Amino acid sequence: MNAVTGASSQSVGAGQRSGGAHPSGVRKDRWFTLRRRQQVAGWLFLTPAILYLLFAFALPIVYNVMLSFEQTSPATLADITAPFAGLGNYRFILDDPTTRTAIVHTFEFTVGSLFGQFIIGFSLALLFTLRFPGKTLGRSLIIIPWLLPLIVTGLIFRFLFQLEGGAVNQLLMDVGLVHQPIDWLDNPHLALLTVIIANIWLGVPFFTLLLYSALQDVPVQVKEAALIDGAGAWQRLRLVIVPIILPVIEVTLLLGFVFTVKVFDLVIALTGGGPANTTQLITTWSYNLSFQQFSFGEGAALNNVLLVLAMICAPVYLFLSRGSLRSSSGAGR
Amino acid sequence: MTRLQRSRALRWLCTLATVAALLIVLFPVYAVIVGSFESTETLFSGTYYWLPHAATLDNYRTVIQAQSGNVLTSLIVGAGTAVLALVVAVPAAYALSKYRLRVTVVIVSALLVAQIVPSIVLATSLFVIFHWIHLVNTYPGLIIADGTYAIPFSILVLRAFFFSLPNDLTQAARVDGASEWQTFLRIVIPLARSALITVAVFAFLNGWGDFIFALTILNGATIVPVTLGIYTYLGNYSTQWGEVMAAGAFAMVPAAVMLVVAQRYIASGLTAGAVVG
Repeated sequence: MNAVTGASSQSVGAGQRSGGAHPSGVRKDRWFTLRRRQQVAGWLFLTPAILYLLFAFALPIVYNVMLSFEQTSPATLADITAPFAGLGNYRFILDDPTTRTAIVHTFEFTVGSLFGQFIIGFSLALLFTLRFPGKTLGRSLIIIPWLLPLIVTGLIFRFLFQLEGGAVNQLLMDVGLVHQPIDWLDNPHLALLTVIIANIWLGVPFFTLLLYSALQDVPVQVKEAALIDGAGAWQRLRLVIVPIILPVIEVTLLLGFVFTVKVFDLVIALTGGGPANTTQLITTWSYNLSFQQFSFGEGAALNNVLLVLAMICAPVYLFLSRGSLRSSSGAGR
Repeated sequence: MTRLQRSRALRWLCTLATVAALLIVLFPVYAVIVGSFESTETLFSGTYYWLPHAATLDNYRTVIQAQSGNVLTSLIVGAGTAVLALVVAVPAAYALSKYRLRVTVVIVSALLVAQIVPSIVLATSLFVIFHWIHLVNTYPGLIIADGTYAIPFSILVLRAFFFSLPNDLTQAARVDGASEWQTFLRIVIPLARSALITVAVFAFLNGWGDFIFALTILNGATIVPVTLGIYTYLGNYSTQWGEVMAAGAFAMVPAAVMLVVAQRYIASGLTAGAVVG
């Protein structure tokens, strides 16, 4: 007994000393190569994505910074670099009244859209948690606005909000709310509101879907407990449901902000930034600077303003998504 | 009894509210379809007709002639975006969920941040870069650009899906002597079919519906997707509403098909992509 144990422990010791020569050493070696093999395979699987991220995201973002410090013209396009312009492009866009109003419009557009989208989206999400005939159909059709090409949405709303023969004016006049058709798209005071309405229509499904799936995850027991404690519907919503789904509300608003700041197609199709630049947003004005005035340097400078604005959200978004970052390790084996 | 009646009334009130919401959601789609069958005179009469007025196929005749090439272009761009998204995203998502790599946190963070980057920022730089490497006005150039919508989203959605796959299956394949690549190809991909469909559908819709990259990276002469065609139409003949509507109706077809074919994947796909946590 003793001798056998001694022998085996000795052999283990020998195996450790002599490395690959001994059976147990081989096992360790194989374990090592399996791990190495997996590391190599993992990196190979990731390679296309890393290359893509570098080429389609990192490179353009870095190049955009370079462009914003360059004195560009249509002639400099033939080359990848243009003469250094210092802060010239930034000084130009900050002095430019259209850029300033575009920043203000972007702010108004974003706040107005998010407000409408959240109120309507949350109401619909709450509605869909109740049981009633037509609920499933309603939930599946509500996402339609999201699937349509944005340019089509823009064109539809341009048609519906027409001064003459537009459905919106026709409805308002049929009902008797107005006597004269309203110039939704060409009135400088109304155009931005019209664009916001169209964008709310576009964004409601996103809010409804996300908030609905969050509401589904609220435990029934919690709602029942609040009911038994005599909480009214409003109290249940405010004191029980909203606090539970608050993280999802935060992510939804955050992503809603990011999506809204980016909006481009809808505005281009609906108003093209007009009338008199009253619906000119940062995105549309940046397009105008780069692709219509061919001032790529100035466009790039404005792009960086937009990028900073959008990236304000990045740390918060990463923080709110930390669960998904963490679950990456540990899920291995 | 009164309680029962009250709850029944409440239920119908909910149905009514849903119907109202759906009317607002669906009316614009309805308006495009009805409008696409109306004559220019009807659309220009200054009155909006809620029901089809004098149906005609003229708009479709004109648009099919003018836009059928554009539809083909959009199909190529959509399919190309779907293929690119699958090729890049599927292995990446697999690596990010099933292998313990130090870069995982970095890459996933980069993907989350990538979703935030506005397309116009990328479009401006990509145009100048593509101009330099001769990718302006080419299919590969446009598809690479369109991938910026689809790829981060696809990797995150697929990664969430791969987490739900049990590790035993891949382990069993390894024990049987399969290489990492064989395991991925023979075991993982077949199991992930439904998730792959979701991702491909969304990538296709992204490529099909893209406008901003089509507007910036193409010169509008040789390669013209439907979205760009509609925009040009809108600018040049803003009076030809009927034809614009018919083109718009064409552009909506893939969304409609997807809604029917991939209904059960869409809602879960959308939410999984937005809240990955």
